[in-house]
Amino acid sequence: MRVHIVREPADRQSRDLLEHNYRLRHKVFVERQGWEALRRPDGRDVDDFDNEDATHILITDGKDVVGGSRITPLDRPNLLQTVFHGLVQEDLPADPSLGADWTRFYVRPDRREGRRRAPESAALFCSVMEYALREGFSYITFVSSIYMLEHGTAVGWRITPLGRPQSIDGKPTLAAWIEVSEDALDNVRRATGMRQALISGQGHFSAIGNSLIP
Amino acid sequence: MNADLMSTIENVQRESSASGILDLLYAAIDQYGFQKFIISGLPDRGMDVRPFVLLSGWDDEWYERYTSLGYVHLDPVARHCFGTTLPFDWSDAPYDQEADLPARRVMEEARDFGMDQGLCVPIHMEGGMQGVVSLVGKTEHLDDKSRLELHMLALYVHGRLRFINANDPNGAPRRAITRREAEILKWVASGKTANEIAGITGLTARTINQHCENAQKRLGTNNRLHTVVEAIRHKLITL
Repeated sequence: MRVHIVREPADRQSRDLLEHNYRLRHKVFVERQGWEALRRPDGRDVDDFDNEDATHILITDGKDVVGGSRITPLDRPNLLQTVFHGLVQEDLPADPSLGADWTRFYVRPDRREGRRRAPESAALFCSVMEYALREGFSYITFVSSIYMLEHGTAVGWRITPLGRPQSIDGKPTLAAWIEVSEDALDNVRRATGMRQALISGQGHFSAIGNSLIP
Repeated sequence: MNADLMSTIENVQRESSASGILDLLYAAIDQYGFQKFIISGLPDRGMDVRPFVLLSGWDDEWYERYTSLGYVHLDPVARHCFGTTLPFDWSDAPYDQEADLPARRVMEEARDFGMDQGLCVPIHMEGGMQGVVSLVGKTEHLDDKSRLELHMLALYVHGRLRFINANDPNGAPRRAITRREAEILKWVASGKTANEIAGITGLTARTINQHCENAQKRLGTNNRLHTVVEAIRHKLITL
């Protein structure tokens, strides 16, 4: 498996990855999770925030995209402060220029079946924290079902709610921020057994070693 | 947000020992009228629950009885965790009071130990692993806001305990595996897949994988190969 950091304007190879990513997102978020507001007739989940400010962290296995996440800066238009502003009652921990919004986290559904822990998901957790540290962010915001509080805390992340959880489509949902730090990266690496860096300096991707195979 | 809850959440995340979490949680749930609790993973059918317990705030006598007699597999509250993602009152855990006598026995015995009401928070971990935070106390006074707060608190505490357990230098690696785990690791060491071992032992592949995962946890190893290597190195299995 490889981790790719993709931004617009994308070169031809990255363009293919992005297209694959948009189609998978539609499958996961619209067709499986029922997020109807995202439904599009062309079967691609692309919204206003898939623009040149966005960074896509994509995991591939061979030619296939098997998981992904999107990071958008908080001092540019973002999902948290528009669509989900109703979930935010507390102040951000620091200036918006120091934070990023983590959205569209997914693992291709068939990769989760029958496995105790999806290495794709572990790779995304590690990559997102590694990327945030590298870019100099001090916190990452997210909106998700409140179960993320358990998953994030279990890998040693410090997570602070930005507001009261609310029931959205019957699921308790909240906005929160994760502290970005060397400790947070160490902890998630130890918890997932992924010891080495996933994002390389220049090529923006690297092979993931055997530590990923459960 | 509730300021008390926010500070409890912060303290839970700073805490580095299970005993510290115990004190924090007793104090926090007291605010909501609860007295005792248990935090545990839920094992597959027939397996001992004790290696899965993260933290017990139960009376010793009941804990001993419940865990040694395999009550986790009879208890309708524990069973209902597999069927729902939302917190529920114990009294809402379905079971057939006429036909399911073992379930009724567990519920009645719990009542004799002064544990007749409670709130159960199922914890769904990645990959289908199942856990539970169960609070002992009356629930009828709880409003939706308190229920959501307890739900959040339970998720934080469960996650933090998993983190503490995985990093406890005294707890892990524990150099002990069960006889069953040793048997299965021997088959793994001879190159058999989970399906093949299932065929040999008559267990399901899922149970085989669970045994391997448990051995991995006990030994503090990172993957199946590492587990086998450590088991051989420490002479827990001989080939």
